[in-house]
Amino acid sequence: MNSLDPRVIRLPKIEQEDIISPKIPLDQFGTFEVFVEPKEGKPFQHEGIVHAPNLEMAYILAKEAFTRRFTCTSLYVVDTREVYVSPMTEGENNAYELIPDAKESLNEKTTFEIYHLIKRGKQHVHQGHVAASNPTEAMAIAKTIYNKGKTVFNIWAIQSDKIRFTTQEEKDLWVTLPEKKFRDASDYKGGSKLKAFLEKEK
Amino acid sequence: MYGGGNTFEGIKTDSIQQEDPKRLAEFESRIDRGEKIEPSDWMPALYRKQLIRMIEQHAHSEIIGALPEGTWITRAPGFKRKMALMAKVQDEVGHAQLLYSAAETLGKSREKMIDDLISGKSKYSNVFNYPTYTWADCCFISWLVDAGAIVNQLANAKGSYGPYCRALDRICAEESFHLKYGHHCVIHLASGTQIQKDMFQEALNRWWPPMMHFFGPSDKISIHTDVLMRWKVKMGTNDDMRNQFLDMYVPKIWELGFTIPDPKLGKNPETGRWEYTEPDWEEFKRVINGDGPCNKERLEVRRIAEERGRWVREALKSPQAVYVVPLA
Ligand SMILES: [Fe+2]
Ligand SMILES: [Fe+2]
Ligand SMILES: [Fe+2]
Repeated sequence: MNSLDPRVIRLPKIEQEDIISPKIPLDQFGTFEVFVEPKEGKPFQHEGIVHAPNLEMAYILAKEAFTRRFTCTSLYVVDTREVYVSPMTEGENNAYELIPDAKESLNEKTTFEIYHLIKRGKQHVHQGHVAASNPTEAMAIAKTIYNKGKTVFNIWAIQSDKIRFTTQEEKDLWVTLPEKKFRDASDYKGGSKLKAFLEKEK
Repeated sequence: MYGGGNTFEGIKTDSIQQEDPKRLAEFESRIDRGEKIEPSDWMPALYRKQLIRMIEQHAHSEIIGALPEGTWITRAPGFKRKMALMAKVQDEVGHAQLLYSAAETLGKSREKMIDDLISGKSKYSNVFNYPTYTWADCCFISWLVDAGAIVNQLANAKGSYGPYCRALDRICAEESFHLKYGHHCVIHLASGTQIQKDMFQEALNRWWPPMMHFFGPSDKISIHTDVLMRWKVKMGTNDDMRNQFLDMYVPKIWELGFTIPDPKLGKNPETGRWEYTEPDWEEFKRVINGDGPCNKERLEVRRIAEERGRWVREALKSPQAVYVVPLA
């Protein structure tokens, strides 16, 4: 191919120059939800998704996609299928109103993380955790603990042991983040050079 | 990166008549109140279709837009510029990831979108079908094409679809670095040697027509998009966006001692609007339909990347990881 791009010239030859063949249908990777802790002590909040072949790769890709800049002290990921979602409400309607009250169950309990959406259009934010034997029960218990004050438009519950958390040792992944000034607008102050230029041109 | 205009050709509004009038009224009043629409909310089919189309094109523009600049990473002048350009190109590809995810919440899979890009079915911003001959072309993109993209993106961030707005908030925060970096590069060329000044002037001459095309055809000839404006899918007309860009950046270009290759360009003091030679919309159409200087190369690069990466994806494939639609 004739190109100005040195990388393109190195690409393998294309047999039929004029035909762009469709991509061969492939697998789609799985979908994983990404949560970021913006500051030490601040709650984790939902930031988006990555597609990955497994939880560990999802963690690595999430680090690249969501924590290149801004402050970040921790990150975790979970398979989208592990997120239990309440109905979405609006106006004055609280999503907890649609969750039936908890019936004390005698089954074995595990921990569930609970997330709230308190402003439509914003992100889900981590609220705390509860012990329950299933996600429905987890939301019902959350209703008795976390349903205070603000209207909640949507609730998520995730079983804690399904989450790929950041370990204590991994926390240094973000230690050098503030040093990466070259990613920051503040490192490109053209002001003085521009002023000198304008002075000279006068 | 993202240009307007190429998104809404030939929309048919008949499907609105088939929608449940009560739900449609609720939907519209939610938008009027300034509330966001979320993936689990009811929405008209036309809203879904046009949003997928717009967000998908925006995502494609980010990855294709990374190519003309990416080609200059190895040749960028000096270590600092290489670091900056690498970070910028990485951001652009990251923007594509965020935008694909937002479009996926509406029900089109990422693989289908990539398929449609590679087969030429989906469009991307026309401006990236032009070549970057010199370092100054690359600087033009970093500063002014990104500036144009920011005008669009800031407007769209006030739109009605929650996941798209959230992606754009992240993107706009990163774009401020692109814009500053690009301006920094051009200030250096402007205050450099005569050769550097000429190099940027020549790049500006080459890029001005595609830059004027960037915001899409003039309102006089483009299709009416009232319903999309009402639903806050499209946030301003093409001419409004173009005018906003000219208002913000023409003075900055002039300030650096460069001339813009359009003798008619000037702000009308009475209307407050910019006047200019009508861009060549025939060329715009020709290029968008595939006949531009770099269309073929851009798609080939994507196709080859797809083919070369196949063994990696095959090796990583696992039956445990299942594609599902993102939540928000
Ligand atoms: Fe971008
Ligand atoms: Fe860009
Ligand atoms: Fe950018």
